[in-house]
Amino acid sequence: MAAAARGAVSGILRRWAPRALPLSALPARCVGHGPAPAPLRAPLWAPRPLGGNRPQTAAPSVLSSVTPLLPSILQQPARTLTYYGLRKGKRKSVKAVVKRFLRLHNGLWVRRKAGYKKKLWKKSASQKKRLREFVLCNRTQCKLLDKMTTSFWKRRNWYVDDPYQKYQDRTNLQV
Amino acid sequence: MSGNGGNRALELLRSLPRVSLANLRPNPGSRKRERRRGRGRYGGRKCGRGHKGERQRGNRPRLGFEGGQTPFYLVIPKYGFNEGHSLRRQYQPLSLQRLQYLIDLGRVDPTQPIDLTQLINARGVTVQPLKRDYGVQLVEEGADIFSAKVNIEVQRASELAIAAIEKNGGVVTTSFYDPRSLGILCKPVLFFLRGQPIPKRMLPPEDLVRYYTDARSRGYLADPSKVAEARLELAKKYGYILPDITKDELFKMLSARKDPRQIFFGLAPGWIVNLTDKKILKPTDESLLKYYST
Repeated sequence: MAAAARGAVSGILRRWAPRALPLSALPARCVGHGPAPAPLRAPLWAPRPLGGNRPQTAAPSVLSSVTPLLPSILQQPARTLTYYGLRKGKRKSVKAVVKRFLRLHNGLWVRRKAGYKKKLWKKSASQKKRLREFVLCNRTQCKLLDKMTTSFWKRRNWYVDDPYQKYQDRTNLQV
Repeated sequence: MSGNGGNRALELLRSLPRVSLANLRPNPGSRKRERRRGRGRYGGRKCGRGHKGERQRGNRPRLGFEGGQTPFYLVIPKYGFNEGHSLRRQYQPLSLQRLQYLIDLGRVDPTQPIDLTQLINARGVTVQPLKRDYGVQLVEEGADIFSAKVNIEVQRASELAIAAIEKNGGVVTTSFYDPRSLGILCKPVLFFLRGQPIPKRMLPPEDLVRYYTDARSRGYLADPSKVAEARLELAKKYGYILPDITKDELFKMLSARKDPRQIFFGLAPGWIVNLTDKKILKPTDESLLKYYST
């Protein structure tokens, strides 16, 4: 059964290996085009003539010149923190925080500097280098971010090849 | 002198009234009076709400609001720190020190192959398959004090940990369990009570095939001859003599390995285990047998 399974695995591996493309077919088609060109076909789209050739309606309506009110403009983001959700009665995390910050298990939060990709042309090299750095948040900011997230974001994670693994614990900390 | 004190104590016991709630009181300073809100001179009046304003009137804005200025948590640009976190695999670490501790206390039996089920039964590790845990990884902590000959099967192992186990004459195998199989492996009794047939363990996904077919990581899909070569290479690298396990008395136990589609030792996929009647039901239909045997 082990041998059959290994054969199945090698079969799977064979299926995943890149298949050799049939290259011999291509040059023949390219060479054949030389002397006798293909007959001209009608273009798939007709080019629109320049200038006002549009059929004029009786009275141009206001709405046609104004962009329609898309539902996305009417929906403003809700920045509230939900203490007790409607369906489960549980606390919810603020997604804005989860998308911008990283919580280390020792309680520190890591963030990027604001403006690290904006208007770089007018910034000096040292300024750009300072903006590219990853920075920690201060105590009040950490407390605020802890309140805005649930305990799921405070759990210990053991990812494979995590670049932040060595920062999850403090060493030689003396209060 | 001591006899006199004892006599006096006994006389006191005879003369004093019996202990009751009327005679007892807590140690002074151990209980502090509770300050109930809205009662009395100190708990009442403003009731801890402050003076006027939004604080007293209960109209404070939401958490993180900074009076209209773009709040701190929105000024910072987005960055993919947590992107795809629910798709990243996690492996609970098991140090060699902890493994040695479990073996010394007798919680894990080194004379039987050590599996993830054995480790969880011994409460050595806690694996949560629903939190994207894909198993256990061996960590080097305690490699210098490790001295147990074991046949251990984990999901990931570092090179030094493999060397430390093989130096003591043990065998390491890394194998893959898909999340459903891992859940069944962690809690077998609950699964058997469900009454479902044991499913076949799925093969690793594309990015893990390379890891599990590599002899250096002692993958369960690797070539056994290459694994033997890798054992010799590791012994040369770390400078120890590789003990010959074929001459060992526990060789049969050390060479016991699971089939790639098998979840439990001694149970094949497709079988139903009935715990109450203490029976195992095996499929007889040809199509089922064909499905479970591939």
